Amino acid sequence: MACFDRASPALKETLLKLHCAKKPMEIDQRIYEFGAVEYHVQSSVSEPYLTHLSISTPLLSEEFSSSNGLSYDAIQMIKEIRADALEIVEPAKDGYQLTIRLNLSKIPPGKESIKVITEISTVQAKLLSCQLKEMLRNVNSQEQLQGMYRPIKLVYHHREPFFVIRQPRKITAVFPMRFKEDPDVIIATAFFQELMDVGSSEEWAKAPPCTWSPIPPAELRGEPLEDLSTNCGFVSFDITSHHVKGKRLDRTVWSLLNFHAFVKYHVKCTRGFIQRRMRKRLDSLVKILHSEGPDEEREHEEEPKGCGCMSSFASTSRAKNLKRRCRNLFVRKSNRIRSPVKVRGGMRFRHRWLKIQKFSSPRRYTKLD
Amino acid sequence: MAGCRKFLAGTLRLYLTCIRNTLEAAMCLQNFPCQEVERHNKPEVELKTSSELILNPILICRNEAEKCLIETSINSLRISLKVRQADELENILTKKFLRFLSMRAEAFQVLRRKPVPGYDISFLITNYHCEDMQKSKLIDFIVQFMEDIDKEISELKMSVNTRGRLVAAEFLKQFI
Repeated sequence: MACFDRASPALKETLLKLHCAKKPMEIDQRIYEFGAVEYHVQSSVSEPYLTHLSISTPLLSEEFSSSNGLSYDAIQMIKEIRADALEIVEPAKDGYQLTIRLNLSKIPPGKESIKVITEISTVQAKLLSCQLKEMLRNVNSQEQLQGMYRPIKLVYHHREPFFVIRQPRKITAVFPMRFKEDPDVIIATAFFQELMDVGSSEEWAKAPPCTWSPIPPAELRGEPLEDLSTNCGFVSFDITSHHVKGKRLDRTVWSLLNFHAFVKYHVKCTRGFIQRRMRKRLDSLVKILHSEGPDEEREHEEEPKGCGCMSSFASTSRAKNLKRRCRNLFVRKSNRIRSPVKVRGGMRFRHRWLKIQKFSSPRRYTKLD
Repeated sequence: MAGCRKFLAGTLRLYLTCIRNTLEAAMCLQNFPCQEVERHNKPEVELKTSSELILNPILICRNEAEKCLIETSINSLRISLKVRQADELENILTKKFLRFLSMRAEAFQVLRRKPVPGYDISFLITNYHCEDMQKSKLIDFIVQFMEDIDKEISELKMSVNTRGRLVAAEFLKQFI
């Protein structure tokens, strides 16, 4: 599974359908994503322009969530999408973390509507990235250093947790990597080695230093065993203040949240690439076996060549020889059948009396015996 | 580096020439019905019912990881290959590729669906194959196959690593 798009495709489609509908629509739809995210879209004919969107999502970390599960920054970020068309309902619907009242009539038609609805569909991603953003914003703050070396377990995708460890002047993100199949493990390991090589080159000096080790890093000492048991090792990124400046913060957060999905997507694509390549090679190998051999080609080339008696004799195949022999045998046999009894002097008799006389010119004469 | 590559190419050529010569000598097959069961005509190299119909197997090794076993009988010939697997990536690529080919054995006619234990891939050539196809072409195919497998595995490994490098660069680009 790899969905690098922040907007939920199903939610976007539903909201666009509601916005573009000429007649008011009655909708009560639940959408499930990644096994744990749930959207509930409600729209009634009585209130044609109002749509209620409720979102339930597991938060990244329970330790850093506020009482209602949403931080102040997250609420602000949602309101910034479009203040006039969107309103947060307090309290949220039972079983959901957030309920939004959408006024679709205030969203302008055309391309702008697609842009706004796409933004609304990214609410869940915004909620989750908010927590990590708060952690990364305080990379350099000294007050955070007091006793904060303990790893924080974050769960973005179900069964794929990762750890964030605050350290002096940097934050380390550690990803335990697990794969179901052995080939995936090997392809991913090759990728991590390349990632380390590329990251350590001068060209990528500004990128966060990346390390891969088959054993858990020392910072994760004391964590539960099930979190540390992996089959593909641990990948760590050291995030410094440079990586969280301005717009980079958003990109860094999104990259870290989607690292697992990114690696899995790469592994899947590589497997597909190998399969395509093998199929191509199979065709070329079969061609070698079934292609016309050089001997046959030579035979075809030599056939029209040579018109002399010797050359035709030399080039005659075994079949032709056999045919000639059969013909000779047949002629001999037929001769024998014509004269079953051998008569002495019979040949002379046959020559004299049975031979058909040739027509000759008047100047010549026929010799009489 | 260039010298090492030249040396490797040289050893590969010698290895393949040796296999070619051995195959040329071994591929003199004739029709021979089974001595045990009437109206049965089976490859003797597989059944091994009569020891007098089987010749001594020949093992040609390039190194410990690369070898070729040629087993000959009166009416059939079995060639088993072990392909070099230097690291884990080469190992899975070789396994995947040879499994892929074995599953499509009908396309090759002479390919065995299951390799002989201890080897990666096996071919079975019978006298009927020799009658249908040219002997020289069959030998060419086996030698070409060996060359191609080596080349393909190396190229695949390089492609996978190159793809990994490009993807890694693309990922790190997001932080800059």
